[in-house]
Amino acid sequence: MTTVTHSIGRTSPSEAEEKLVRVYIWEWPVRIAHWVIFLSIVVLSFTGYYMYAPFITSRGSGAFLMGEMRFIHEVTAFVFVAAFLLRVYWFFKGNKWARWRQFLPIGRYQWQGFIGQLQYYLFVRRKPEFRMGHNPLAGATYSMIFALMLIEILTGLALYNRILGSKVLGFFVGWLPMLISIRYLREIHFLIMFAFGAFVIHHVYSAVLIGIEERSGLVGGIFSGYKFFSESRIKEDASHE
Amino acid sequence: MPLLKGTLAEALKVRGVSRREFAKFCSTMVATLALPPQYLAAVADALQRADRPVLVWLEFQDCAGNTESMLRSSNPPVADVVLNLLSWEYHETIMAGAGKQAEAALKRVVQQDAGKYIAVVEGAIPTADGGVYCTIAGRTALDIATEVCTHAAACIAVGACAWDGGLVRSNPNPTGAVGLQEAVPGVKVVNLGGCPHNVANTAAVLVHYLTFHEMPALDQYNRPLFAYGRLIHDQCERRAHYDAGQFVEEWGDEGSRKGWCLYKMGCKGPDATYNCPTVRWNGGTSWPVKSGHGCIACASHRFWDAMSPFYKPLPKVPGFGVDVAAEEIGWGVVGGVAALTAAHAVGSVIRAKKGNGDIQKEETKPASPQS
Repeated sequence: MTTVTHSIGRTSPSEAEEKLVRVYIWEWPVRIAHWVIFLSIVVLSFTGYYMYAPFITSRGSGAFLMGEMRFIHEVTAFVFVAAFLLRVYWFFKGNKWARWRQFLPIGRYQWQGFIGQLQYYLFVRRKPEFRMGHNPLAGATYSMIFALMLIEILTGLALYNRILGSKVLGFFVGWLPMLISIRYLREIHFLIMFAFGAFVIHHVYSAVLIGIEERSGLVGGIFSGYKFFSESRIKEDASHE
Repeated sequence: MPLLKGTLAEALKVRGVSRREFAKFCSTMVATLALPPQYLAAVADALQRADRPVLVWLEFQDCAGNTESMLRSSNPPVADVVLNLLSWEYHETIMAGAGKQAEAALKRVVQQDAGKYIAVVEGAIPTADGGVYCTIAGRTALDIATEVCTHAAACIAVGACAWDGGLVRSNPNPTGAVGLQEAVPGVKVVNLGGCPHNVANTAAVLVHYLTFHEMPALDQYNRPLFAYGRLIHDQCERRAHYDAGQFVEEWGDEGSRKGWCLYKMGCKGPDATYNCPTVRWNGGTSWPVKSGHGCIACASHRFWDAMSPFYKPLPKVPGFGVDVAAEEIGWGVVGGVAALTAAHAVGSVIRAKKGNGDIQKEETKPASPQS
């Protein structure tokens, strides 16, 4: 931990006089997973949308555009799955801010934070809930995003196995086409893409908004791993759990 | 048709089917069943010596399209041999008898040949209101199907309606129609979905049964794997245009004239399994995609509901109107969240401006609602 002086914005006068401490919040697997997931979703959305509605018509005898789009989609999908699995592993292995508990509004402290943050977003209260890692509302949102990612992975693998016909993959996802017709698997796979798009808008906005409110270097945190907090806030965080 | 008992060889001789035509038929069947060519002799031998089993063909809620498909098969050997392969004792559309005599024939088969005859069912079976929506000779379809099929050696459901209810069962299904398997759960049915069935597959199933004395390997819907095991998309002659990224954009455009991929026109080839592209129709002349129309997945489970709209790449989203595509819902969600976010950003700026003056008050009362 390194102490740095930092000019403070609209925080309480007592806090404003405190020095800020640089705290390592997001370990490298969290950051790697975050950015690999983000970049792969961008690639997957582009190639996936092309596969739904091929908006480029290729000319010439050597054209293999759909084949290339599908190839990129499939390779990127496995990169995405790897990043997803790394993040899931880190739910159990990471520091307290990366652990699975952060993503569920269970227990009084978490639930309070969830409601408080919801009130903040609904303009019912003026200041957001303070948490060093995720606030509980954000955590719950990420749980839903992780669930959607899991659905995306399962439906995607089920669609892929229609072509691959692998027994091993069939063991994991073979039950899906029996349960839901392949048409609706395709549709679910397609619709969830838009949920990710909507989430990105909300996520970037919230990160900037809360970053301004907290003055914690929140946006920079996902690049460097560090956020900035006063001693009293670090103590407050340490008093829970 | 005179009753011709005895072996197929004898029957074919009477009918004037040449040895050459019979050999052609056998090779077609071996190819359709995806058997190695070595089986050709075995199949031909078994068929010639087989006692022609009795067949009854029941029609319920149907359009007789599967019967037509069989009779109008323009490949003479197939039609001839299929008709001669079995002793057809009852078939409402083509039998000469009528009324009491016809019903007596069916009754005789069920009593005398119990456990030996093959029952083919075409059409859905209504179950609502005691099954009154389809009655033949005063008996409900359900009643006839239960009696005939439970006494049969083998049951074959031909066409989409007999398999899963087909068009008759599609939403809202006023007659409570179901397929044979659901109507008579106790019997083992081989389903030959498709609208209509492809007679080459039906013949191949019968040939397999007569040669090996068992039904071919089946999938989870009890459909033979040789016919329903592969994606249409993977067998399609337009596949190269799909991979190249060359698509028909509207009917009659340049791509349409050049025979490009019909995916954007709603072709269901990537979702449907069937051997339609290889077995084809009209004596192997063509099939829907070759003739320029996308596949509607007529051989897929409950395709009228599951695969519509036929001219759009994705199905309608439950709870939304027919004209609202999944894509519009998706963009609507993204746009809605973007608009909400923008509105919230404006709200936050106003809050920050209003709040600047009373931060100290706020700190002492953190949960006070904004006025």
